Amino acid sequence: MSETEPQIEARRSADLRLALHLFRKNPLVLVGLVLSVGSIVLALLSPFLVNSTSWQITHPLLKNCWNNPLFGWGNSNIAHDCSSSYVLGTDSYGRNLLTMIVLAIPVDLQIALEVVLSAVAIGIVFGATASYAGGIVDEVILRVTDIFLAVPGILLAIVFMVVFGRTLTVLTGAVLLIWWPTYVRLVRSQVLSEKERPYVESLRSIGAGRFRILFRHIVPNSIYPLLVQATLDIGSVILTVSALTFIGLSPSPLLPELGNLASLGSQYFFTAPWLIIFPGLTILLISLGFNLLGDGLRDILDPRLRR
Amino acid sequence: MDGSTQDILTVKKLQVNFHTFAGQVKALDGVDLSVKRGEVLGLVGESGSGKSVTALSIEGLLPQNAEVVGGQIILNGKDLLTEKQGEIRTARLREMAMVFQDPLTYLNPVLTVGSQILEILETDRRVFTPVVVAARLEDLNKAAREGTLTEKETREKASLEALLAEQTLGRREFKRLAKAYAVAILGRVRLPEPERMFKMYPFELSGGMRQRTMIAMALVRRPALLIADEITTALDVTVQAQILKLLRELKDQIDASILLITHDLAVVAEICDRVAVMYAGNIVEVAEVGELFKNPLHPYTQGLLAAIPRPDAVRGELTSIKGSVPNLIYPPSGCRFHPRCPSAFEKCPLSKPPLVEARAGHYVECFLYGG
Amino acid sequence: MKLYEYAIRRILLMGLVLFGLSLFMFYLTRGFLPPSFALAPYITPRMNDAQKLALAQSLGVATKSCASFQAFSAFQQSCLVPVWAQYTQWLGNVLSGNWGYTLLPTAGPAAKTTTIFFSRFPFTAQLAVMGAILTILIGIPLGIVSATHNNKLPDHISRIVSLGGYSIPQFWFGYVLLIIFVLYARIGGLGLLPGSGSLATNCAICFANVVTPKAVTGAPILDGIISGNLHFAWDSFVAMILPAVTLSITSIGALTRIVRSSMLEVLRQDYILLAKSKGLQERVVIYRHALRNALLPAVTVAGLLTAFLFGGVVVIEIVFDLPGVGYTSLQAVNVFDINFVELYVLVTALIIVVTNLAVDIIYAKLDPRIRY
Repeated sequence: MSETEPQIEARRSADLRLALHLFRKNPLVLVGLVLSVGSIVLALLSPFLVNSTSWQITHPLLKNCWNNPLFGWGNSNIAHDCSSSYVLGTDSYGRNLLTMIVLAIPVDLQIALEVVLSAVAIGIVFGATASYAGGIVDEVILRVTDIFLAVPGILLAIVFMVVFGRTLTVLTGAVLLIWWPTYVRLVRSQVLSEKERPYVESLRSIGAGRFRILFRHIVPNSIYPLLVQATLDIGSVILTVSALTFIGLSPSPLLPELGNLASLGSQYFFTAPWLIIFPGLTILLISLGFNLLGDGLRDILDPRLRR
Repeated sequence: MDGSTQDILTVKKLQVNFHTFAGQVKALDGVDLSVKRGEVLGLVGESGSGKSVTALSIEGLLPQNAEVVGGQIILNGKDLLTEKQGEIRTARLREMAMVFQDPLTYLNPVLTVGSQILEILETDRRVFTPVVVAARLEDLNKAAREGTLTEKETREKASLEALLAEQTLGRREFKRLAKAYAVAILGRVRLPEPERMFKMYPFELSGGMRQRTMIAMALVRRPALLIADEITTALDVTVQAQILKLLRELKDQIDASILLITHDLAVVAEICDRVAVMYAGNIVEVAEVGELFKNPLHPYTQGLLAAIPRPDAVRGELTSIKGSVPNLIYPPSGCRFHPRCPSAFEKCPLSKPPLVEARAGHYVECFLYGG
Repeated sequence: MKLYEYAIRRILLMGLVLFGLSLFMFYLTRGFLPPSFALAPYITPRMNDAQKLALAQSLGVATKSCASFQAFSAFQQSCLVPVWAQYTQWLGNVLSGNWGYTLLPTAGPAAKTTTIFFSRFPFTAQLAVMGAILTILIGIPLGIVSATHNNKLPDHISRIVSLGGYSIPQFWFGYVLLIIFVLYARIGGLGLLPGSGSLATNCAICFANVVTPKAVTGAPILDGIISGNLHFAWDSFVAMILPAVTLSITSIGALTRIVRSSMLEVLRQDYILLAKSKGLQERVVIYRHALRNALLPAVTVAGLLTAFLFGGVVVIEIVFDLPGVGYTSLQAVNVFDINFVELYVLVTALIIVVTNLAVDIIYAKLDPRIRY
């Protein structure tokens, strides 16, 4: 039965109302939106907010300048005054911790976006191929993803970085190595279920080509779950990247990257806990933002929750 | 339609709304209904007319987005709408039972047929003790009359008779008797090899067998009211006939009233005593079955009956009711049927017609007959 | 298909996964690192060059025609063996347990990689098992409560816990717990819980002087119980509390989410309506009818959660300074002791595929519809 114009119109406005309703019912989505968009904006603005080369400048003299006016913590017997401009104190290289955090946000977000976008691309190509070709191709692709899902991702990344060296590109590649199989499987199962829909049958009956159907119709129609997963994974990728740099796989000890900053602070954490608390808190807020947003997106885009 | 005491169930002016994102669906608009003791009342209407909503309201199992706006549901003299949740649950356990349409999705796939029946009895051991003991005693008495009672069974009979007076039964003993009773009930709904059926999973049964299982689940409770919601719709025609035959047999055996919900007038003609016709959330006509088929008063009922294909009719003469079921978010004013009614006149869109007794025991909600 | 036929098929697939993984790890490390890295774990200090060359040849990393060890060290073309030709030799060595000597500076001279690994692995396993127990004990009930109180207060709390757990950096959470339970919660001048190490003797609720029993299993808590040294078992347990909580926070978040969504899905099913219409108590409807069906999808992620836990221990062991294989692997990485990390990867992979197999069998037990 085909819908008339006003019926489609009515359904669209009902969809919109539903989305608005879900937004209201789950105010956490709004928090997620603010946190995730906020972190992206901060990342884009960071070159204008702070001197982007300041991470290379170390001040051995300021090394123990741990005064933290914000929390009233700190070493009172430091001779020189260094509290005024260092709201969060300095890190163990004598650099302004707040500046370092602002510089680190774009680094982490960039890695996360690169990893997730590449994983989505790999997922679409291999997942769609596997489900559409079926048979031996499908089997081989599935077994290969099995291999990568049978290892703790962080171990795989460690070995990868040992072999190829500690650079930002290798770090990105190492994390991508963990993430791509999930997307291949996700796209595969999406395409498989989408393939059974009646509209694919009718497209085939009017003589549309296989690849045209696959990439023009099926893939765009299964994009929502992919979008949700990608949003959720930005948070998880940042967690993994920071865990890797925290355990000492950072390309450089000076690199302003949230996990690395926390790692620098971990040696002093009984005397200056904020050195680890603030970088970690930043990771938590960014990751929480994308997770909340992804969770809310799923509720809004999941047709099964509709009544 | 007074709420006389011979009614097992009386529904008065029941109004139910559904909150959806498209707006408020006024699903039931003052439904009046009564089921007398021992009768089979058919509730017919198109899909979407509110039959199942009526049934779920009676059971107190409306989905979360539904709201009962007004009315009464009186079962055995108690108004269920004012009772506490726990009381309604007890009423579901002891007084009414519902059999649903699709026998596959309504049975839990990971539990055996037997355990899904037994759990009902185990919910309230005190209530079901006399039931299971009486069932066993009946067997033993029968054996006694036939003179095949063993010595052990004689002792069991004596102890059970004593138990029946005290009404206490150990857990294990109860379970043993309950199981025997459940197997016997499976036999009563004509399932072959009830002992084996007891241990089977729903997916191992055919559609008709599953429907019999669901009926058995209702029967073990000895309900005063059985609500059967489209129980034959999902079945093959031959199986449909068997299930209806079973229902008719059981109706005579157990002392229950049945509210039979269906869209199939043939089913109504076969089994019901009285019929209520439902349209867009209203009961539009209630009458004895013979009377209704002979003398349909409401234009909607007339249309329904005319739409039944008859083998003796001239070819190409199949009629249907013009228009389609109204959107219940913005229902038609006055009589909800008036936009489709061939005999509508100026009064119809203005107000809702009252239910009047046009002939003896034949009620109709239409301005053509007064009001 | 019978159950055992299915099991055999699955075991074959398991073998295939492990084989593929070993192949991948092998090509990664042998193909992209110089051949001397492959030789390093097998060299003992007193070897002369001729012995080293013979060793390299017997390991299959140098050709038989290789003239001298100097030529091998200079990666002369005549000495290099193609990577594919080295694999069978490597596999033979590895399967017979010959992983060479560890290069860890702390391990002492000529300590076998396998000896060091398996003496520290039980500790890591103990941590992972405690993490798994916490995950199951907290994740499943939290998911159920969340689903049965959909959009009410308990749901919001559990959603925050699960999303928070899913978003929190584990190392950071560990340090926050340390600050709270060691620095701030103090009784009698001592922190409530111990700060680091595998044995707690310096905290408010532990025994001060305990005798370390002989290692039987290698897992301290078990060793304490077996040897009847309950003080030691208790202290080891106390030392594990914060690490286990930190380790499980992420998987608790993940499991809660899975249980919640599959429970919500099941509660919408028709058979739940029938169960309610039968007059069963709410409790019976939820635990007997809904939970069993809802746990089916949750069971399938057990393998992923195992991977999560065994990966997480690396970070946790660093934060809490614990002597497990995760921490040791990182030290090994710094001295390019590839064999140690490879051993860790393959042993964990074995555990994960076995978990997956066990899960499939449990799944079949839970769901009578599955016939092999």
